[in-house]
Amino acid sequence: MLLPRLLKPLHKRVGTLGLVLLAALLPPIAELLIPQVNFTGRLQPILIFAILGFGLNVVTGSCGLLNLGVAAFMAIGAYTYGILTVSVYPFQLGFWGGTLASLITGALAGFLLGLPTLRLRGDYLAIVTLGFGEIVQDVLRNLEGITKGSQGLNPLPHLSILGMELGSSHPKLSYLALLAFVAALALILKNLERSPVGRAWTAVRDDELAASCMGVPVVKTKLLAFAFGASLCSLAGALWASFLGSTGEPGNYDFQLSVVALCIVIVGGRGSIPGVILGAFIMVGFNSILLVELSELLGKSGFSGTQNVFASPSNWKFFVLGLALIVMMRVRPKGFLPQQTGRE
Amino acid sequence: MAILSTDALTLKFGGLTAVNGVSLAVHRGEIFSIIGPNGAGKTSLFNAVSGVYTPTSGAILIEDMNSCRRISAALIFGLMASGLLTAFGFLLIFHIAALWHAVITARFVFRQSFDWLGALEAIGHYAREQPLQTLIFPMLLGATTGTLGALSVWRGSRRSPEVCASFGLSRTFQNVRLFPQLSATENILIGMHRRLSSNFWSSLLHLPGMKRQEKTSKAKAHELLAFVELEESAERAAGSLPYGYQRRLEIARALASDPKVLLLDEPAAGMNPTESVQLMQLITRIKERGITVVLIEHDMKVVMGISDRIAVLDYGNLIAEGTPAEVRCNPLVIEAYLGTGAHSE
Repeated sequence: MLLPRLLKPLHKRVGTLGLVLLAALLPPIAELLIPQVNFTGRLQPILIFAILGFGLNVVTGSCGLLNLGVAAFMAIGAYTYGILTVSVYPFQLGFWGGTLASLITGALAGFLLGLPTLRLRGDYLAIVTLGFGEIVQDVLRNLEGITKGSQGLNPLPHLSILGMELGSSHPKLSYLALLAFVAALALILKNLERSPVGRAWTAVRDDELAASCMGVPVVKTKLLAFAFGASLCSLAGALWASFLGSTGEPGNYDFQLSVVALCIVIVGGRGSIPGVILGAFIMVGFNSILLVELSELLGKSGFSGTQNVFASPSNWKFFVLGLALIVMMRVRPKGFLPQQTGRE
Repeated sequence: MAILSTDALTLKFGGLTAVNGVSLAVHRGEIFSIIGPNGAGKTSLFNAVSGVYTPTSGAILIEDMNSCRRISAALIFGLMASGLLTAFGFLLIFHIAALWHAVITARFVFRQSFDWLGALEAIGHYAREQPLQTLIFPMLLGATTGTLGALSVWRGSRRSPEVCASFGLSRTFQNVRLFPQLSATENILIGMHRRLSSNFWSSLLHLPGMKRQEKTSKAKAHELLAFVELEESAERAAGSLPYGYQRRLEIARALASDPKVLLLDEPAAGMNPTESVQLMQLITRIKERGITVVLIEHDMKVVMGISDRIAVLDYGNLIAEGTPAEVRCNPLVIEAYLGTGAHSE
């Protein structure tokens, strides 16, 4: 594969800081090359989904627990942020208060879900998380008095630093702020990977029985991964809501979203932090940049999606994603940037 | 004094009795072997002792104490906290929509300041207005669910492998079970995990205390690797090591938790004669460290060469126990396992 072969030496040469700088300069450069596309706006969802991928990666990649309900935690984060910042409720904590609160509620929700269920083995846990994803959607829909149902909560404050709102007026700065979020989280996750906690996660993933016989407290270890992962997903939800300025309707946080998150982790390489970022670039970039531009291009050249459903590339989205996953599993089952294991 | 003993230990899987009323006593500092034909229940016995299986009946004593989590003040407190939290959770779920309306929606006027103290009063007012049963039933249901749930979780984990490890038991597996993705050093660090502090925040931020701990524990891990003669493979992924190395690494990992008793499940399986001689030396050196070794093994050279005492299992029953010389001459053992050839060996 070409991509990892290109990326690895690049990372060696310029280092992590260089990569971050490169990412910071990406939108202006890309806009210089293709001026028709608003890259600054389009790249922000990629960064938010990278954070969502981080959250799932902790649970599924590092600790080996298949979580199919990531969207629920994202919804919990988005709605916590919404309720605590929207002007129709008295809390109005602003961006940072709302984000912090969503981190905490996310961790709490993960902890509460994990407490009775983490003793289940592999597949059963996946089913529980799948059910949890559906339940959260329904609860949000039915608690109309609080969540405003399908209207969603809006308007919500955008990302702001030192009282300066960056949302729509300074998209470039808001892109940089999100990039800083991603970089800080990547650093923290890297730290965890090389710590007793991260080691215990890997041990539980590789061989739960052996880990427990060595005295690793399996349930506590899993619970920590679950709560921490949920808290990151919740953060992604809060950032997503602040990016859109609205929580959107509960139906937006559906199973498809969980699957996209899972694809990000699988395509990038389970357990690998750079892999998640790459996965988010591939999956969300394909979704929100490539497909949209392709649709516009096709529209301009006379194919209209309204007349023929097959003529619109957006309708091919999940077909292409599914196909890509199958090919991926055949060709590179460990992802593009697989997690590195002990030095040879 | 027996460091590890079983008292009429029975383990049944449905209609199959894998271990049938076995009473054994392992003394401090000895090498104790368990032998017997395939399917005699040796590994099942090991699994019961190390907490992987819960025995159907009988007891497992470590230093003459029952190796179970005991009923403690922390347990009672945990049960009460769990019950109370679930009770309030259920209450909140039952009332959330109406409560929200009464406290927030009905009282908040857009763009005006909100009276937070008044909100507390409104909660009290709402509670007083509700019929008593809508408060009591959810709480009762929640308290029962929370307490019983926590109790059943506790019962299930009374004698888990983790608990056994905390009592000073450590083991290896018949088919090597290392963590293939972790390096040899990291595998040993997992063995030490129980003794390391693994605080989440210091791990997250790599605080100096954790860095210091990592340094000292890595030095200790290298000592152990040197003990099993694997220091050159320290940084290699465990999964990529040759089979014989993996066996030795697994023993080192088991030693890392500073056990009182080390359970080795067929350590010589798949080893050539030179390797099994090295293994015998290794086990003797482990004994010299003051660690009691319990061994399941089919290689009679190893068993007869290093064991202080031997127990023989057949169809789940203990048929003989004694020194190697006694066991070798026991007619029951010769018939069940050794065969007549062993007598003259």
